[in-house]
Amino acid sequence: MSDLIYFEDVRIGQTHRFGHYVVTAEEIIEYARQFDPQSFHVDEEAAKQSMFGGLIASGWHTGAMFIRMINDHAIPSAATTGAIGFDDLKWLKPVRPGDILSVETRVTEKIDSPNRRGTGTVKIESRVLDQRDEAVMTLTSLVLYRRRSR
Amino acid sequence: MKYFEDVRPGELDTLGSHTFTEAEIIAFARKYDPQPFHIDPEAAKGTMFGGLIASGWHTCAIMMRMTADTIRRNQLATTGSPGVDSCRWLKPVRPGDTLTGRSQVLEAWPSRSKPFGFVRSRIELLNQRGEIVLSLVGLSMYRRRESPA
Repeated sequence: MSDLIYFEDVRIGQTHRFGHYVVTAEEIIEYARQFDPQSFHVDEEAAKQSMFGGLIASGWHTGAMFIRMINDHAIPSAATTGAIGFDDLKWLKPVRPGDILSVETRVTEKIDSPNRRGTGTVKIESRVLDQRDEAVMTLTSLVLYRRRSR
Repeated sequence: MKYFEDVRPGELDTLGSHTFTEAEIIAFARKYDPQPFHIDPEAAKGTMFGGLIASGWHTCAIMMRMTADTIRRNQLATTGSPGVDSCRWLKPVRPGDTLTGRSQVLEAWPSRSKPFGFVRSRIELLNQRGEIVLSLVGLSMYRRRESPA
């Protein structure tokens, strides 16, 4: 476990690109029936008549797919204890069935957390990209990293 | 129908409530956020959280469900959201917690080019002890009264 990335190891400007999430109509509808049952997320026929011209994923579903890719590719190597939240989330483009999503992350800031001993906060800008490399969602996460014990 | 013109800065609304079960916390996290403290009650006991907690993205999903139910109940002429200014997960959400939601309109302004307006709101989810577990400031779009449906 010694090759985990701790707060001290994080470098501003570091970028990573990973993930290959195939979006299906079934999953869009399954998520939306439970959490966001607006017609353009759950009903293919009604979605065709909407301003979107077809079924699109709930923006919060795109967020969930984003955190799955973070789980599969970033969390295993990082000494994180979770995130306290995020800023500046933008849903830039509809996500549709057949889209293939990936993630590009960039470290923008490291913040000492005097009242959270043993951890520091890392600001990470993420872009969720589709198969045309167009950003469908961007956000800045506030992630807690453990410090190396001395 | 409640259109953009009917939205007033400062107005408050309630968003209903939801009780989290252990089964749904684990089901969501297995699919989207499979960290030990979200999917494994035994492993979660040994973490800094002292037990199973919901994924923050699950709490956001429940917030969305409360919002979608409110849109339907109050017949709000919303057409989606361009984004969220800030979101903070302030307290862990645990099995058995009952969250209630409230929202307040912070500001509203018309789009220059499209037949809708933007509304910025603060949404908070509180647990059964009155502690704020989620605080979010987000945007939504409302159709204007004169716009085509």
